[in-house]
Amino acid sequence: MAQMVHRPVRTHTGEPVDKHLAAPEAETRRGRLQLLRDWIEERTGIFGFIKHHLDEPMPPGVGWWQTLGNLLLTLLLIQFVTGFALAMFYAPTPDHAHQSVKHITENVPLGAFIRGLHHWGSSLIMLVVVLHILRVFFWGAYKKPRELTWLVGVAIFQVMMAFAFTGYLLIWDQKAYWATVVGTRIAGTVPLIGDWLLRFLRGGDEVGAYSLTRFYAIHIMLLPVVLVLLTAIHLYLVRRLHIAGPVVPQKGEPQPFYPYQLFRDAVVVLVGIGVLMTCALLFKPALYPVADPAGIEFTPRPEWYFLGLYELLKLMPPKLEVLGTVVIPGLIALGMILLPWLDRSPSRHPAYRKWVIDLGLIVVFLIGTLTLKGILSEPPAPPPHTAQVSSSVQASR
Amino acid sequence: MRNNHLEQISQQTDSPARRRVLGWLVGIINLGVIGGVIAPVLGFISSPARRRHGQGGWIPLLDEQALAPGEVRLVTYRRLVKDGYMMAEHRYSVYLYRKTDGSVLAIDPTCPHLGCRVEYKERKSRYVCPCHGGVFDCDGNLVSGSPPKGLTRLPTRVAEGKIWIQRG
Repeated sequence: MAQMVHRPVRTHTGEPVDKHLAAPEAETRRGRLQLLRDWIEERTGIFGFIKHHLDEPMPPGVGWWQTLGNLLLTLLLIQFVTGFALAMFYAPTPDHAHQSVKHITENVPLGAFIRGLHHWGSSLIMLVVVLHILRVFFWGAYKKPRELTWLVGVAIFQVMMAFAFTGYLLIWDQKAYWATVVGTRIAGTVPLIGDWLLRFLRGGDEVGAYSLTRFYAIHIMLLPVVLVLLTAIHLYLVRRLHIAGPVVPQKGEPQPFYPYQLFRDAVVVLVGIGVLMTCALLFKPALYPVADPAGIEFTPRPEWYFLGLYELLKLMPPKLEVLGTVVIPGLIALGMILLPWLDRSPSRHPAYRKWVIDLGLIVVFLIGTLTLKGILSEPPAPPPHTAQVSSSVQASR
Repeated sequence: MRNNHLEQISQQTDSPARRRVLGWLVGIINLGVIGGVIAPVLGFISSPARRRHGQGGWIPLLDEQALAPGEVRLVTYRRLVKDGYMMAEHRYSVYLYRKTDGSVLAIDPTCPHLGCRVEYKERKSRYVCPCHGGVFDCDGNLVSGSPPKGLTRLPTRVAEGKIWIQRG
């Protein structure tokens, strides 16, 4: 860098102009920069902090699988930036929400692209977070002393699900409305507090104006703050306890994080963001007709990451819906939370924790099968229009 | 020098009991401040969950003659309701079924499972939920599927030449 700056200007005969002055001037400039750097370093310690983390030794065998966390962080930052941009054009009221999203998509320059980034970004995050969790699970990286890192990671996963669920309604189209009707009814099946919880989430008996403002406030205020806090704790713990190396320690010298692992991270980010941008450019996110509580033509179907639960609910016998809505998802969440204490094997090797690996594989297989079944099942054709609109308008009170 | 000075102050004023009491007081003040802000905020945001809106009333839907015996018809109507901070005209729908004995049933299309809208399949004379596959007969009774009970029937009456329903 310094060599690039220190390029002497030459005369037509090829001799450097001010050959005696150019070098001292550059030196002075470098000296001033160094002074500024020292001044900042003395007060913040930021350069030492960065250098310490860039030089962190990575155990031999750490490679491409360990790049998912960084990709996830980058995708989250993109969600923050695009979400902030979308919020500038969005109006969270039943009268204007759908209209403002339509306006963003059709009229605002680059609106469809920004909305596409946010929409496909949420799907990509779900995909990457699942891969990240599976990697940690199969590598047994949640074992002592990394139990809390895993626990905070599970909390981050739950927050991401909450992000997806609350972001859904904001579009205020048929899909958004009915997914929220079903989603809040699922919350309503929680024993004892279900009825209260349903009305708390909806802001009343029905999905309406208060539901929209609630979901909006949770989506753009509460969840981002919680996510930033949890992510900061997660990263702190990862750095404090260092990355878990391969299950079987490998021969070789540790390599510093920079430039080797950071280069892999950069390549994966490049590929991930490339995929995201391609999706945003090629596939415009759908916008269905405006939410209509009277409509029966629309068959509600959630996004792909909730399809497993959607299909599970079809399998539940009458009067046992709570099994599908609360018990089974609750048991999976509880299993994830308690995993570091359930798996008591001191070894991280899959061969020495067979029942945990087998159970994990079964759960992944079942969720995968249900999700695939949901993706493959075509929604039924809309019924013939038999509705007759009555003109009666009644004031309720 | 500075450390000596601090030690002197500490010896004059500090004691484990004093530190403990002050520590407790700091904790109580913090809890008071947090509770003083959080309690009203929780009360504020949960207020819509405590209030139930009684938006009931009788609504005229169809001319009495418009529904033939054995016919099931989806009727959509509009109501002015209080929706959060505003009065809004909402669309609702209901299935009206005139039985062969002449009586009229009004069936709420909301599936009692998870709230999707059921569709009436004329060929099979069944209401089917497109979400999770619940099936109901013409009277709204549960035939098969996940729903815990049959469809909700709304009170009806025939008066002034019209079919009326009552919303709860």
